[in-house]
Amino acid sequence: MNALSRFFARLEGPQTIGRGPVFWIGFLIVLAGACSYPMFSDGYTVGNTVYFFTWVFMALGLSLIWGYGGSLSFGQTAFFGIAGYSYGVLTLNFGAAYGFTLAAVVIALVIAALAALLLGYFLFFGRISGVFLGIVTLSVTLVLERFMAQTAGPEWAIGKARLNGFNGMSNMPPLTIPWPGGDIILFPDVQLYYVVLGLLVLVYLGLRILVNSSFGNVLVAIRENPERAEMLGYDIRKYQLGAFVIGAVLAGLSGVLYTSWGQYITPSSMGMTAAALPIVWVAVGGRSDLTATLIGTLVVLSGFQALTIHGAQYALVVMGFLLVLTVLLAPRGIILAAADLLGRLGKSKRGDA
Amino acid sequence: MALLETRALNKRFGGLHVTNNVDLSLEAGEVHCLIGPNGAGKSTLFRLVLGEHSPSSGQILFAGEDITALKSFQRIRRGMSVKFQVPGIFKALSVRQNLETAMQHHYPAASLHEEIDRLLEFLKLSGESRQLAGNLSHGQKQWLEIGMAISLKPKLLLLDEPTAGMSPEETHLTGEMVQRLNADGMTVLAVEHDMAFVRQVADKVTVLHLGQVFAQGSIDQIVADERVAAIYLGQAHG
Amino acid sequence: MDAITVAFAALYQFGDAFAFLVLSACGLAVIFGMMGVINLAHGEFIMCGAYVTVSGANAGLPLPLAILLGALVSAAVGALVERLVVRHLYERPLDTIVATWGLSLIATQGTLIVLGSTMGGIGTPLGSFQIGGYSYSVYRLVLFVMAIAVLAGLYALFNWTRFGVMARATIQVPHMAAALGVDTRSVYSLTFALGAGLAGLTGGLYAPTMTLVPTMGTTFIMEAFVTVVVGGADVFLGTAPAAVILAIVKSAMTSWQGQLFGQIGLLLAVIVVIRVLPKGISGFLLRERT
Repeated sequence: MNALSRFFARLEGPQTIGRGPVFWIGFLIVLAGACSYPMFSDGYTVGNTVYFFTWVFMALGLSLIWGYGGSLSFGQTAFFGIAGYSYGVLTLNFGAAYGFTLAAVVIALVIAALAALLLGYFLFFGRISGVFLGIVTLSVTLVLERFMAQTAGPEWAIGKARLNGFNGMSNMPPLTIPWPGGDIILFPDVQLYYVVLGLLVLVYLGLRILVNSSFGNVLVAIRENPERAEMLGYDIRKYQLGAFVIGAVLAGLSGVLYTSWGQYITPSSMGMTAAALPIVWVAVGGRSDLTATLIGTLVVLSGFQALTIHGAQYALVVMGFLLVLTVLLAPRGIILAAADLLGRLGKSKRGDA
Repeated sequence: MALLETRALNKRFGGLHVTNNVDLSLEAGEVHCLIGPNGAGKSTLFRLVLGEHSPSSGQILFAGEDITALKSFQRIRRGMSVKFQVPGIFKALSVRQNLETAMQHHYPAASLHEEIDRLLEFLKLSGESRQLAGNLSHGQKQWLEIGMAISLKPKLLLLDEPTAGMSPEETHLTGEMVQRLNADGMTVLAVEHDMAFVRQVADKVTVLHLGQVFAQGSIDQIVADERVAAIYLGQAHG
Repeated sequence: MDAITVAFAALYQFGDAFAFLVLSACGLAVIFGMMGVINLAHGEFIMCGAYVTVSGANAGLPLPLAILLGALVSAAVGALVERLVVRHLYERPLDTIVATWGLSLIATQGTLIVLGSTMGGIGTPLGSFQIGGYSYSVYRLVLFVMAIAVLAGLYALFNWTRFGVMARATIQVPHMAAALGVDTRSVYSLTFALGAGLAGLTGGLYAPTMTLVPTMGTTFIMEAFVTVVVGGADVFLGTAPAAVILAIVKSAMTSWQGQLFGQIGLLLAVIVVIRVLPKGISGFLLRERT
């Protein structure tokens, strides 16, 4: 019991909104709802819901880097693509037997982490910040897109895996869990749903612990006043790089899950439009809080999905307006603005009583 | 042995020789004030000591170690700490979090919050501990930053115009605090304009003029020095 | 004879790359240098200029006039965007990037909805000439001359006109400029329109050489970013020398391994440069004055 309460204490802190028994009871109710949801739905719809969930990891990572750390990383899709393509190349070459797809996930994430470490070293140890950080990271993802788009020829193959240029790679095996009595193949269906939901809960709680730890304190301090943070004896470059790599791994996780979910990945997942979407989710929800980012991402994605029926271009125009209006009217994000409003209302009510 | 020593320290920006062969020496335990007319190179010298600028030539020694090539955070870890002129605080964090961020690696987790409470009391900020630091009054912000700076338990405390924007009363209180810290063994280097403050705290005063050490001595010697008065008057006239 | 052929080919490649970098970047650089704001809708102003130019040319306007029209329409749209969005964000330069990214999405996808996925282009004018058995486009030489002309024009504008003096006063000490009676708001406004207009000019100039699609802005934006990052916040001491260096890298890499490696070379150059010169070339050149 004591261990449990200590665990909860580490999940909470000034760096995250949502604390106390009410929040956690609400959290458990939502989680229970999410767990029982497949019982009230069919496999196809549940499989589509997984699609939403795959993106949330990237959004949470961006919240960490941008919302908490204050570094504009506009190239999260680069790591999404790197990990997605890595997963494709690995599994197309080595298949799915003996649980190799799980190893492929890990290797793909390590590759994304190494790429982030290398790029982040140049950026943060070169003391790049602010607008330049944003446009360099964006340039990286744009170049990667162009690079992958021109790999149509047969000479662009890694082992058995053709990169296929603009059309992208497809038909890689989905995630497969080795199981006595027959492997469990995670097609977009109920089983994959539970796996991804589990990962999501794990990542969300893990990040809450991280941002409320001493690491999180320093990260937010760097966002607020980098000079002061350094003059407290912190090597701020290492903290920024650390957050950047964690964010990249989470973007990579989204990439891997997306690739295995749809069994394809294309260069356009790293293009200008794709890169804009995580910015929309995170900015609209409220980048400086994990819970707001999580809710915002899911809400915006469902809205986007609903609009896509009329054509993706209409949905994207709406996303553009959403982004502009959020920045102009609720710069901290809509969910956080709403939470502030509710908080104020609650306070004034108590004041009246 | 001197705690802080600069040897023939030079800093040039293009043709401008901002710091010219400065030899400065701080004995452990003294309160040393750096004064001089505007443009004398005080801030530059201060930033050189902190590692925010790197010198064109010369050496900086701290507790006998050559720290010229070290980065700012490494110097801080060796036992320096700084309070900036414009309060350098984390505005979107609470007062308590500000101190927590400063102190979390210097105190064991078990006693961290006790230490924070003690420091809050010392800073007269106990009532504001949960407020956002950005909402404090100017004087309170200055005190909070002083609190962060001293919470590192530095050997050398660097103060950049600590009383800027303070009322005479607040200035005097700040002076008393510096004296108390000094009594506990902290060495202090302060850039300061306010002569009342300098008179209150300084064991030794260095006058910088045109990037060079112009005069050095006790406050009485400096005040009695007509040449020093002349450069200040010169400043006033032109 | 052969040496001359090779030298000309290399020079032509360099000039082509230089023109593309300068023209891609100048609008972005003017806005960044003056206002510290990165306009992520920069590519869409280029697109706008290209579309207007082609529509004008198809409607019978002579090409130079059509290009001018493209630049003017872009500038007008820029002024409008400044009025509606950017003006409200001067205190928050980082948010400006995000907001202009939203504008970029709206513009790209909106064009796709209204005008469809491509627009019939116009052929490259002025034909070609031959040196040593290779054929070169005359229009590319015109683009090179235009790049130089734009730099010269900006130099004249910022140094010899009243607007230029006020603008430079405004970047250096905004409150002082305001105290001296400079209307800093309209300076920012005009600067943003100028940057957008330059982007439109670039779009118009390159319109005859490429296919018109709503996402054509992305073709320019990477080069524009890279040039501005390497150059830093000054058009003359930054963008121009950065374009020279990057054009050498790009043309060398391109003739060695093709277009794409030209771009990869650019990106690697930028990453190395920021590690060595965090404030870009202009920051390096100006360091003595800080």
